[in-house]
Amino acid sequence: MEKIVLLIPIIPIVIAFMLMFVSKKERIPRVSIFLSSMIALLGLYGTYHVIRTDTVIEGFGGLLIYNELSAILIPYVAILGLVIRKYATKYMWDEAGYKRFFILLNFIFSAIYLLIMSNNLIVLALAWQLLSISLYLLVSFNVGSDTAVKNARWIMIIHKGADLVFIFAVILTYKTFGSFDLAVLSAQWLEMSASPITDPMIFVIGLLYLLAALMKSAIMPFHIWLPYTSEAPTPVSAVMHAGVANVGGILLNKMAYLLLLAPGVLNIAFGIGLITAILATVIMLTVSDIKRSLGYSTVGQMGYMIMEIGLGAFSLAVYHLIVHGIFKATLFLESGALIKLARHESNLPKRLSYELFWEEKLKSKASKIFNYLAFLTIIPIVVFIGVKMVLSEEFFDFNASIIILAFGWLTGTQLFLSFFKVSRTETFKVVVALISSFIIILFTYEFVGLALEHFLYHEHARLFYEAATLNITLLMAVIILVVITVVGWLFMYKQHFIDVEGTQKASKIEWMFYRFLAKEGYFFSIIKRIRKGGKL
Amino acid sequence: MSAIIVLLLAGGVPYYLLLEKFTPLKSKHIFLLSGLLLLGAVVSSLYIPSGHTTSIVVIALISAIFSIYRATKTTNFYKLGYYLVFVNAPFFLLFEDQGAEYSLSLLLSLIGVFLTAQFYEKNYGSANYHHITGITLATPCIGTYLAFYLIALALYPPFPNSIFFLSYIFESEPSVLWYIVVSTIFFGNFLLAMRVMRKTLFGRENPTIHYVHMTVKEKIIHSIVIVLLLTLSVLGLKEMLL
Repeated sequence: MEKIVLLIPIIPIVIAFMLMFVSKKERIPRVSIFLSSMIALLGLYGTYHVIRTDTVIEGFGGLLIYNELSAILIPYVAILGLVIRKYATKYMWDEAGYKRFFILLNFIFSAIYLLIMSNNLIVLALAWQLLSISLYLLVSFNVGSDTAVKNARWIMIIHKGADLVFIFAVILTYKTFGSFDLAVLSAQWLEMSASPITDPMIFVIGLLYLLAALMKSAIMPFHIWLPYTSEAPTPVSAVMHAGVANVGGILLNKMAYLLLLAPGVLNIAFGIGLITAILATVIMLTVSDIKRSLGYSTVGQMGYMIMEIGLGAFSLAVYHLIVHGIFKATLFLESGALIKLARHESNLPKRLSYELFWEEKLKSKASKIFNYLAFLTIIPIVVFIGVKMVLSEEFFDFNASIIILAFGWLTGTQLFLSFFKVSRTETFKVVVALISSFIIILFTYEFVGLALEHFLYHEHARLFYEAATLNITLLMAVIILVVITVVGWLFMYKQHFIDVEGTQKASKIEWMFYRFLAKEGYFFSIIKRIRKGGKL
Repeated sequence: MSAIIVLLLAGGVPYYLLLEKFTPLKSKHIFLLSGLLLLGAVVSSLYIPSGHTTSIVVIALISAIFSIYRATKTTNFYKLGYYLVFVNAPFFLLFEDQGAEYSLSLLLSLIGVFLTAQFYEKNYGSANYHHITGITLATPCIGTYLAFYLIALALYPPFPNSIFFLSYIFESEPSVLWYIVVSTIFFGNFLLAMRVMRKTLFGRENPTIHYVHMTVKEKIIHSIVIVLLLTLSVLGLKEMLL
């Protein structure tokens, strides 16, 4: 009975074929939504089964599997798919190619389900490629728009590159380990991790999977396809930012046991993820186009996700991709309603946070507030580390936890400050809010992260942290923590609390740096010059 | 000697350069001729299996790269069709023992392109697709069929070209030449198909052109080609996965 769950990747294709024969326009979304809700129900049933019986559902000769990872991701994708379809029902109504849109949407969801549920590297390779072509056709949905079609080319080129890299990785995996079956391979990799690994080919294979994941997840320098494809219809943007960009993280989770054997790859992932997270976030703040800004925001978040994987926190990356997906999809899908509301009011719609914090009073003394804030926001971290040191020493064995914690807190605070437009005069409220954000991050990482870790990887989760550890001393880890916290805090302070009257004129070097970021590293200027045959 | 014959039959040397200069032959005839010769190579490979030397594959590879270049300069479906035969020649020569199914898939997708070319010739005066943009919205039916053929040629699943391509490369032993050939075929086909996609399926409708819809008969013929392609896909998937 439970094997019916394995039909999930096939159902969207059936829906797509059924839609071809639906002639009445209003029936298209109805059929699509009704049958997609079946997928969501099947997904929830599968998750219930996996949790209740503690067994995975396997079928089609071992090609598909509904395991712990699927149990978390399939209901998420299915519900997201439902919301997007519902949203698209009215949003896309006046667009030419209404039926084509729903058909393509079903194909892309089929590819995502197949990717999550595949237990075979060949099936994974097919899903990986199916995703690329479906995405291209969806992004260039507005066929009459030159810019949409032109920018969609970046998707094709980068994703095709990812496809080839992935195929090479699969071939080398088969040549080295002799199987395409992921469950068999994972068991083999886990067994091998008990003894030291000397085969350089394993490192190469791990690196190829990482490269493929980086390309699909828009990690720098392969990020260009994401910020420039915002011209696609809003539901497509939601799919891209909340679904497609996450597949890199999903792939690396599927290959988690392989990466145990190649700690160097994890360290590289950490480095690239870190650079992407910082650089994309800074570019996000400098680009003038709001849609591109959102694109860079996703790139930054994907950077975080890859960084978490690089630190061995695979399950946390899964949590991150779900939370980010929900958040970003909400942002995209809410944008239309927000614009509509804004047209009726002189100011943007006010929210509780807006009412609480927004009133700007320039008379205050920034330095005094800074002292308060610095004191009261760094204290929670110091207290937490002290308590951890006493209660669980092993926390410090893996510097990953410390780095994740620091970044998590910084992200939470940054998000809070930029999202809610906090006033610098409301010191008490700001401090309370910052401490609250810290508690939320702490709760998430300590409880949700651990629970997911236990569910996904059982007792093996610790092995990933061991493999990914950067082999630095406790002192070094604490120094890094302090540096991240202080530098991050200063950055935020300068951004959000700097005294307007006392602002100094930027130096030439600062302007150059700003221009560099605002022009996204002159990437497109260089491309244009090359095309025109001009000098660089 | 047999190697040279197979090289010629499979399109390992750009003999179209000579044929293009021979005035009585049109691009349509070159397309048909190269397709038939490739079919001959496929059939002969089933009866006389033989491995080929590296030098033969290298010659075909150089020819393929040249053909990719030539294909980027054309906007004619017939020309595109026979260039694609030459682009895929090194793959056939590298995997000759098993390459028959891939070449059959290629030929089947090219039949689709040929039918599209005929449709264009009949309704727009020539098989040239230049300026006949935005067919996705203007003539959705031919747009859909062409999209299928181009996706198949660009080596994307679920079409058999991709399935057999993957099937061979997963089973074979990689070498430097192998990597070069596989990458060239993988990107060569993709770039050409995507280029055509951009210039035909996408773009604004051209107001100076009267777009023509397919007849029922044409739709049936194209549907048969698609069904055959998907049947090959099922066979390929069975071969690869089970």
